[in-house]
Parts: sequence; C-alpha cells; structure tokens
Amino acid sequence: MLNQIINTMKKLASLFLIPAVIISLVAFRPVAGKLVSKNAHINFFSHTSVEDITANNYKVVSTLETSTGDLAFSVPMQSFEFEKALMQEHFNSGNFLDTKKFPKAKFDGKITNISTVNFSQDGVYEVDVTGNMTIKETTKPVNTKGTITIKGGKVNGSTKFNLVLAEYGIAFKKGKPSTNIAKEIEVKVNADYLSE
Amino acid sequence: MKAKKIVKVGLIVFVVGALAAGAIVIYLFNKPHRDVQNTDIDFKSNASDLVAEYLSDPTKANEKYLDEEGNSKIMAVTGKVHSVTKDMNNQFVVLLKEESDKAGVSCTFSAATNSSAEKISVGQMITIKGVIRSGAGYDADLDLYEDVVIEKSDVITEN
Repeated sequence: MLNQIINTMKKLASLFLIPAVIISLVAFRPVAGKLVSKNAHINFFSHTSVEDITANNYKVVSTLETSTGDLAFSVPMQSFEFEKALMQEHFNSGNFLDTKKFPKAKFDGKITNISTVNFSQDGVYEVDVTGNMTIKETTKPVNTKGTITIKGGKVNGSTKFNLVLAEYGIAFKKGKPSTNIAKEIEVKVNADYLSE
Repeated sequence: MKAKKIVKVGLIVFVVGALAAGAIVIYLFNKPHRDVQNTDIDFKSNASDLVAEYLSDPTKANEKYLDEEGNSKIMAVTGKVHSVTKDMNNQFVVLLKEESDKAGVSCTFSAATNSSAEKISVGQMITIKGVIRSGAGYDADLDLYEDVVIEKSDVITEN
C-alpha cells in the first residue's frame, strides 16, 4: 500500500518535473556570447556658475562579450542634441569637436571582473570598466565603475564618469565658451543589450 | 547749431545700431533648431546605394553629406523596412535594410512624427525623409557593421 503511494507520487513528481525543467530551460536560457546594444543613451552635463549645459544622444551602438568582458562603444557625434541650436552648432564646429572630420567617438575596453556577473541570474552587479576613449584624434585611458543589471533575461549596462575636456585637446582660452563650459563634464551611459 | 545736430544724429545712429546688434545677439543665442521636415531635400537615394557609397569611400561620403556645424544634408531614403523598434527616448526607430546588405539605414523619428511610424510594418517599401548624422561602416572594436544614422525622420510620399 505504502509502496503504491510512493510510486504514484514519484510518477506525479516526474510528470511535474519534466515540464518544469523545460520551462526553466526556455525561460532562463542564459544570455551568453556577444551582446549588442542598438538602444542606448549617452547624456553629458556641464555645470558652471554661469550656465548648465546638457546634451543627449540616442544613436549609440555598443557590444559586450559576456565570456571575456570585452566592451566597445561607438558614438555618432552629430546625434548629440542640445537645447539651443547655437550650442549644438558650436559643439559640432571645427573649434570644438570637428564632427565632420571626426563623426564618431569610440570606447574600446573591458569589464575586468566580468566573471562576477551571472548572466543567467537576475541581479545587480557592480563592475569595473577599463579601456581607451578616442575623441577627435586623441586616445586616453578611462577607468570607471559600472552596473550590469539582469532582469528577466534582459541585460542593461550603465555607468557615470567625468571627462576632462582639455585631455582631448578641447580647450577654450577666451570668450564665452571658456567661462560657460565646465573644464570637467559628467558623462552618463545607459545601454540595453540583446543577443546578437 | 550744426555741431549739435551732428551729435544728435550720431547718438541716434549709435543707439539704433546698439539695439539692432543686441537684438541679433539675442536672436542668434535663442535661434530655434532647424525644422528638418520643412527643409528642402538635398539628396534622394535608396538605402542599399547609400550604404554602398559609405562602404566604398567613407571620407568622400562624409565630405558630401556632413556639415561642419552639424546641419548635415536632408535625405530622402527609400528602402525595405527591416525592423520597427523604440529607443530610450520613446522615439520610433525604423531600419531600412535589404537582407543581402551588410548594413542598413537606421531612421529615428521624433515626438512630432512618431504617430506616422506606428503604421509602418516590416517588409514594406517606404521613403523616409530626415537629417543624416553619420555613415555606415565596419567597426573593428564592435566587430560589426554600423548603420547609416538618420534622425528627425518622417515618412514621405514620393512625387
């Protein structure tokens, strides 16, 4: 009698177990390999006592290799939008970012502690990012902290860091820009990744 | 008497001049963004040709399409709709791309034009007008082909 009950329970358990395993395999299929983001946002903010200036870019492309942590960004510079048309024109012009000659800024680097991120488990993971940023003709190292958020199989990456304009040969000696643009600007990055 | 008159006229000219200069400065500082949809089309192309032009000679293409102050050429691009998505600013993004092409033309709509993107379906042939921001090309760091970027887009009917 008792054996019969145990057997029935085992059968029932396996009946439930098989679909459960299938569902979990489908639902929690880990995102792995090369991830691509074509839905990202970069914002920069410059604060001086005279003026606050901000610009937004929604045409950023990024890739993240989950096995190695390789991380790259490509930023079309003419896609930065400012509140004032004149500021946008100055930003693009030859004196500033010369976007006709240098249409894209690049970041090529790595998440050095990528092994701490479990891409198959929901969570918020603090990561270390290191790499090289190229703006106009100048390449400089960038080290920053970032956050990888895994939620329902979706991967989001975000970071915030400061950038010293003069390091990239963007300097103003006189006139309005020298007083109205901060020497150091804050850059915020937010990217949603999908499997390639 | 004559000297007084000269001074008077001189003063008036100076004040009027100063006011005009001030008005121009204020206008320039606050001038609105270019209204892309109400600006004439500079170039008509189909998505495949535009991508091919960039892949064969990006420097020449940038010279042709990009403007030094960011007021780059207004394009009318015809192509097959590959995908319709939304960006983080809630703007529709329509990718015009032929299956056989390495890259496409990624057209971002705006708050003002979003409603016309809602009716677009995948596979459709359409013409999109917008401003070009950057070209297509292979990026070694990303290890993929980037699309041509068009913004302030709207669907137009070709004449």
